[in-house]
Amino acid sequence: MSASSPKERSGALGVLAAALAVARKELVEGFRDRQTLIYTFVLPVCMYPAMFWVMVQGVLVVQGQKGAKDVSVGLVAAADDFDAARAAVEDLPESGGRTTIEVVDALPSDDIESLQALVDSDDEDAPDALLVLPADRDDERKAAVYYDSTDSRSEIARERVERRLSSWADELRNEEAERREIDPDVLDPFDVRSASVAEKKDEGALVLSLMLPMLLVVMCVLGAFFPAVDLTAGEKERHTAETTMLLPLPRLSVHLGKIFAVCAASIIATALNLLALGLSAGHLLGQLSALGEGVVVELPLGALAAVAPLAVLFAFFVSAALTGLASLAASFKEGQALLGPVQMLFIMPAVAASLPGIELDAGTAWIPVVNVALAFRGLLVGDVETLPLVLCAVALTASAALAIWFSVRLLSNEEVALSGETLSMGRLFRLLRAERVQS
Amino acid sequence: MTEATVPATDVAILAEGLVKTFQDPQRGTVEAVRGVDLDCRRGEIYGLLGPNGAGKTTTLRMLSTILAPTAGRAAIDGVDVDEDPLEVRRRIGFLSGSTGLYPRLTGRETLRYFGKLHGLEDDALDAAVERAFETFGLHDFGDGRCESLSTGQKQRVSIARAVIHDPPVLILDEPTTGLDIMASSDMIDFIESRRTAGTCVLFSTHILSEAERLCDRIGVVYGGRMLAAGTLDELRADTGTEWLEDVFRELVRRADEA
Repeated sequence: MSASSPKERSGALGVLAAALAVARKELVEGFRDRQTLIYTFVLPVCMYPAMFWVMVQGVLVVQGQKGAKDVSVGLVAAADDFDAARAAVEDLPESGGRTTIEVVDALPSDDIESLQALVDSDDEDAPDALLVLPADRDDERKAAVYYDSTDSRSEIARERVERRLSSWADELRNEEAERREIDPDVLDPFDVRSASVAEKKDEGALVLSLMLPMLLVVMCVLGAFFPAVDLTAGEKERHTAETTMLLPLPRLSVHLGKIFAVCAASIIATALNLLALGLSAGHLLGQLSALGEGVVVELPLGALAAVAPLAVLFAFFVSAALTGLASLAASFKEGQALLGPVQMLFIMPAVAASLPGIELDAGTAWIPVVNVALAFRGLLVGDVETLPLVLCAVALTASAALAIWFSVRLLSNEEVALSGETLSMGRLFRLLRAERVQS
Repeated sequence: MTEATVPATDVAILAEGLVKTFQDPQRGTVEAVRGVDLDCRRGEIYGLLGPNGAGKTTTLRMLSTILAPTAGRAAIDGVDVDEDPLEVRRRIGFLSGSTGLYPRLTGRETLRYFGKLHGLEDDALDAAVERAFETFGLHDFGDGRCESLSTGQKQRVSIARAVIHDPPVLILDEPTTGLDIMASSDMIDFIESRRTAGTCVLFSTHILSEAERLCDRIGVVYGGRMLAAGTLDELRADTGTEWLEDVFRELVRRADEA
């Protein structure tokens, strides 16, 4: 506790110095509260490694289970093709799972409704998928695979049949080309293969641009949540609200100090989150490379530095709003219940901003929450213009100033500061209209 | 600063026609205090005596700037509570059952925090904290977090917190409520010690023996109004009774009949 005395200073500097003294004390107290520490710092830091570990393990487990699953495929084919088709589809076990073939010869290949009904049947003996080959190889009709997309076994059966049919088709094409003594590629003039020109690093940046802006908003809100409740409703519950009102400081300084403390907790929590994300995502997501899904994830320090001023303004906006609203509650528990739905008002626009097609422009720059998420996304992919960024900064500054005014006005009201019961929203608006506030 | 507007006398606490109303969702407008007048001089111990709900706490909260008066005026050490509440807070020490200690700070940190905000710096702050440790016997527990202290220990730290800046005015709201015999006795000793230090002490209580023992003057509050004020002898003469309990009952009877 080494706050400099604000008594001798006057004006805005004195108010600010006093606010910082209060904020320092509130942070010291906050860091000593186990619940605040866990929910604001420890949990977010541990969450990403845990989340990505679970995700990677989940992918590995799903892949393993898919390979080990036994499935059955019904085969409808002409007698000449049947054995060859069976040999092609009924392959060796895949990672322990077998694909067995059931002979389905009672149905004609053009009786589509009956074929579909067979796959859709609840009968345990019914095949998981059905492969129907055209009766005449020269027929233009194509081979069809019937499956149930809502059934995971049926999906696995479809994947295997399609993969093996493709291999079989290659074999048949090569045989035909050899018989005609021509290049096999002639029989397949368009060999279309998609190849992304993006580097794995760029793909990683794209993944982050979809994920990070939303997380920035979510973490700012979560980081401010517990301190906001603790410093307002929690203070009433601990019977220290009156003690704080006796501080020989302007009330503005006391309330600003609380907002500063909540904001600092929010910024620290967000920074720790991004750090944990950067450290864990690169390492753990790299394990997916072995499955062909790997991307190179690196924390974009340049974009983070560029978005930092906007993030700080946003943290002020969130902290002031949450602190003001939490002051309406009479106890910690009620404060949590009150802010639960409120935090969704911040998170939902951030989710909406992560949808493709929405960009930061002169219009979206004015929408709180959405603007900071879009600005961050634009900075991450290097696709943002200066004017919308400036407008975004102006909008965030105005939002933060309005939220601070709202919060200080509420906290300065003696009815809010000392109320023994949670105030309704109706009374909130009445209090905001009230002329008299304490100084 | 409004010192020029209040006559420079030895009156440290002055209240004239103090009124406080609240808006209650169920009961509508509630008049907690209905025009209280009082004056308390330096070196004097003044007791506000009254039952629960009489308006004692609300009156003391207005004097300490926690609540703003709806009407009337009050001044502490010559400073108007409505016009310069910050200066008033610098000149008072206030203690009540609702002024809890910050549980996650130690006693020493609490004293340093308040001392610093009251303008004490460096050596002066160290000296004030050390003096408080000596005066209130905090050495054995003053460096432990307040949440881990016993009720009596918390009370000692709270008193030290209230007087760390050596205020000329001390306002105490039912200071012995909830304390055991030893802690209560310590508090009474402390209040008596302030008289000799020249401090103006205004305290509320509903414990008659405390008022009889400590107070130079007593104000009887009932239904938000000051029914009578004076020395114990003056109150006895006014009501024609001997014991303070009978004085109180006679004043309440008259108020109910009026």
